[in-house]
Order: sequence, then structure tokens, then C-alpha cells
Amino acid sequence: MTTKRRRRPARFLGSYDDADVEADVLRTDAILDGLARREPVASGADAAIRMLGALVADVESQRLSSVSITPST
Amino acid sequence: MTTCTIVAGIMPNVTEGRVADAATGVRLATRSDESDLRELTSLAVQGDRSAIESLLGHLRPMVVRYCRARLGRVSGHYHIADDVAQEVCIAVLSALPRYRDMGRPFASFVFGIASHKVADALRSSVRSAVPTQDLPDGPDEGPGPEETVVRYIEAQHARDLLSRLPDNQRELLILRVVSGLSAEETGNVLGMSPGAVRVAQHRALARLRQLAELESIA
Repeated sequence: MTTKRRRRPARFLGSYDDADVEADVLRTDAILDGLARREPVASGADAAIRMLGALVADVESQRLSSVSITPST
Repeated sequence: MTTCTIVAGIMPNVTEGRVADAATGVRLATRSDESDLRELTSLAVQGDRSAIESLLGHLRPMVVRYCRARLGRVSGHYHIADDVAQEVCIAVLSALPRYRDMGRPFASFVFGIASHKVADALRSSVRSAVPTQDLPDGPDEGPGPEETVVRYIEAQHARDLLSRLPDNQRELLILRVVSGLSAEETGNVLGMSPGAVRVAQHRALARLRQLAELESIA
């Protein structure tokens, strides 16, 4: 006989001892690690991941400006 | 004045090229990198010029990304954010001789300064004139206008949603994703264990998702 575990919503995420929640946490970590490494991440229908990806692309897109650090006289 | 002269001499030449080459990606730090960085910081505090240069070369791209993510573009450019990042680097250099290793990583000291500088910039209502680059004399290899606009809108949307997160969740996601820090490094900066970072980032992302969904319904 198999027992089906009920999935807890993220807002009840508490201690790190629930296998389902732990798997979700690790999955999120892997996705964010991919974004942090600038690797292509499949966002699918996840709007939050897609927007974070767009923010990363936008931040990386523009060349660093030639800011002069010579003190003005 | 003295500080500025020193700064001008040792600041790494990063005026050309992107923050990071997307093809090679951002390499997240390992434990040995952390001990190397600690040693580098120690040498830099003692005034070793090449150590200072290496330290800034390591930290500056992360600071630039952080400032760009927090401040966004003005008139389509990141001049203000890049200027603030430069101010952070100068402030770090000025404070280096007084820095004492209290067990926390140097990056937490740097991002502490960056956070204050960004807050100052956000408070400042005066926006100085935005310098424009020389007109390019050749074909533009970058994305086309449509792609640029779509990306800009999505990035701006991300900033709007991030600004609605609690400060600690916003800071965590920007450091982790945009500055490209590992869970360990982010934990070091924010004074959390890597496990706590992983749980907190999961919650922050869930909250971001919720905000995005609520907005799409409204």
C-alpha cells in the first residue's frame, strides 16, 4: 500500500525536514544557480523566473560606461 | 586628493567590454576561492597594490550588477548606476586601510557600502545630466529595437515587482541572481547559513510569483 503525501503550499514552508519541500527548495536553488551563472534557464510558464532572466540580460547587455575617476578640479 | 590619485592609478581598466561574457558565464566562488579572497584582502589592507587591483577586479563586476539591478536605467543608460558603483569602489578603497577582519567576509563589507550608496542615490531627487556616447560609426551588432524594448519592459517589470518584496527578500534575490553570488557567498554577505539562504530564496521567489500572478489578474 502506498501513501500519497500532501504537498504543502510554500507559505507554510517551515523547517527543512519535509522531503517535498526540500525538493522544491533544491529545485529553486538549481534554477537560481543557473541564472547566477548566466546559463540558459527554461522559464516555461514561470513569470518570476522569466522576469529575473530578463533583468539579468538587461544588466549584462550594456557596456560599462567609461566613468572617469580622475578628481575634478 | 591623495586617495583619488591612488585610485586612478590602480583601478582596473574595465571601460570596454561587458560586465561578463555571457558565453563564459559567471563562475560562482568555491571554498578555496573564499580563502584566496581572504588572503587577497589581507594583502590589500596592508597596501599591496597588485592585491588591491586583483581584489577590485574581482568585486567590481558584482557591485556594478548590484547597482544596475537596484537603480535601473536613466534615459536608457546605466550611467547613474555605474557612477554609484564607481563611488562604492572608491569608498571601499578609502576604507581599506581602516578595515579589520572581524570574521565576516570582505564582500559583506563591500555590499554594505553598496547598499548605503544605492539608498543615497535613490533618495537623491536631483538627477544630473546624462552624458551621451559618441554616435557609433558602424553597424549595430546588438539586438534590434523590438527585442530591446521587450527586454527593457520585462526588466523594468522585474524591478517593480522586486521593489514590492520585503527588503531582505529583495536584497537576497539581487545578490544571488543578478550579482551572481553563490548561496554560500550570499549567506556570508547577509549573515545567514547557506541552508537558510536556500529556504529564504525559495520563499522570495514564491512571493515574486504571487505578485506577478496578482498583477496579471488585475
